[in-house]
Formats: sequence, structure tokens, C-alpha cells
Amino acid sequence: MLIRTVAIVALLAVSGVVAFAADAQRTPAPKDAKVYIIWPPDGAVIRGGKLWVRMGLRNAGVAPKGVCLPNTGHHHLLIDTDLPPFDQEIPSDRQHLHFGGGQTEARLEDLPPGKHTLQLLLADCNHVPHDPPLYSEKITITVPPY
Amino acid sequence: MKSMMKNMTLCLLGAVLISGVAMAADRTPAPANAYLYVGWPNDGEVLPANRPFRVWFGLRNMGVAPKGANVPNTGHHHLLIDTDLPPLDQEIPSDRNHIHFGAGQTETTIELPPGTHTLQLLMGDYNHVPHDPPVYSKKITVYVR
Repeated sequence: MLIRTVAIVALLAVSGVVAFAADAQRTPAPKDAKVYIIWPPDGAVIRGGKLWVRMGLRNAGVAPKGVCLPNTGHHHLLIDTDLPPFDQEIPSDRQHLHFGGGQTEARLEDLPPGKHTLQLLLADCNHVPHDPPLYSEKITITVPPY
Repeated sequence: MKSMMKNMTLCLLGAVLISGVAMAADRTPAPANAYLYVGWPNDGEVLPANRPFRVWFGLRNMGVAPKGANVPNTGHHHLLIDTDLPPLDQEIPSDRNHIHFGAGQTETTIELPPGTHTLQLLMGDYNHVPHDPPVYSKKITVYVR
């Protein structure tokens, strides 16, 4: 009986450790990978607020969400917001656009007049940023009054 | 015995026919509005010799997935150098003229000898077979001098 309890406790402890490790185990970033915005350039003026954002990735590949392969990830476009916490799933809302379909270009249609920031953040198959995180420079674009 | 043989032959023939039909029909569908293009270099670009240059792959209304990952509306890039489109109902060849990007890459760096060269992109599905309808870019010409 005692042995059984000990065994169960040991098992629980081990599974606890494993669970903890899984928690902490962010996907390693592909070596030398670089995420960058191909277009638009920093400072661009976008008349009408409609544009295609071309998402650049060097020395790594794109894989849709749920496809867990080494040296891959999928793009997230952050609009008018700072980088989110790196140890959890990237939020999904109007300021954090997910491209879990493996898209490499993003169509923006409703940017109101004013200054806007754009930044890319790559994440693994579970939407969690890599370790170290792979993100682009944050650029600023201006939409003139319509 | 003879009729059994005949039956078997018929069965075999049927199986071959069915598998043939299945293979032909098995091409992965592509979104009708998928748009593939060479983002860089431009058509007609003059590039310096002995210097690798970047080629980036533009894709709209469709996504990229590495080879082997069967996800709807995705594929992976193939760069055709100095060659025409291959047959669209079979695996894209893999050689110096047909470069596969099965790891989901969306750009590459190549170096070409001096002369006139053509570049064209062709999407392949998770099995390297073009989609139905096939998704390919305009064929562009670059001059290496």
C-alpha cells in the first residue's frame, strides 16, 4: 500500500516536472532568422489607408498554425501596439492580426487617417513567440486625411 | 479458371482505372484568386555579375506551408530558372532549374552566370504537385552583367 502511494506520488511529481518543462519550453528560434517588413518602408504615406503589407522572413520558413516543424513559424502583424509578453500566446484582436494560414502578405483596408505603427512578430505552431523572439523593427506609416 | 482470370483482369483494370482517375482528380485545389509573383528582382532588372542577389516570393490570397503539411489553401514555392513550366499534373522536378523551397521559405539568394536568365515561380502542394488551377507567376527576364 505504502509502496503504491509512493509510486503514485513519484509519478505525479514526474508528470508535474514534465508539465512544467513543457510550459517553459518555448520553440527555439531558427538560427540567423530575421523577420522584417518588406513593404511599406518606414515613414511611408499611404493614401486611402488601404495597403498590402509584405511580410519578410529570412533563414526560416513559414508554416501554418498547428504545423509544428523546426525552423518555421507564422506571421503576426501588430498594429498600433507594443510587443506582447513573449511567454504566452499572442493575443488575437484588431491590433494583433494572426496569419495562421501561412500568409506572407496582409491586406489592410480600414486604417483611419493619422500615424500608425506596424511590427511583425513570428510565433510557433501554438502562437507563442520563439526563444529568442523573432520580431521586426517597428515602423510608422501615415494615412493622410481622406 | 478462364472466367476467373477474366474477372481478375477486369478487376485489375478497374482498379487501375479508378486509381488513375483518383490520381488525376487528386490535385490540390487552389483559391481562384491566388496571386503569385516575383517580388524582386523586377522584370528586366540588370544585376551585377559574381554577386548573389535576393529573390523574394510574393503570394496573395494563399498561404505557405512546408512540404508534407497538408493544409487547405497552402503550398510551397518553387523557383524555375531558365526553363518553362513543367507538366502541371505531376511532381515538379528537383534540379538546378527547379529549386524547391519545401521548408516554407519565402525568399532566397541565388547567383547566376553572366547572360540573360528567366525566373518564374510555381506553387506546389505538400506533395510537390502543382495545384488545380495551377498557381504560377509571370516569367521574368533578368540580365546579369
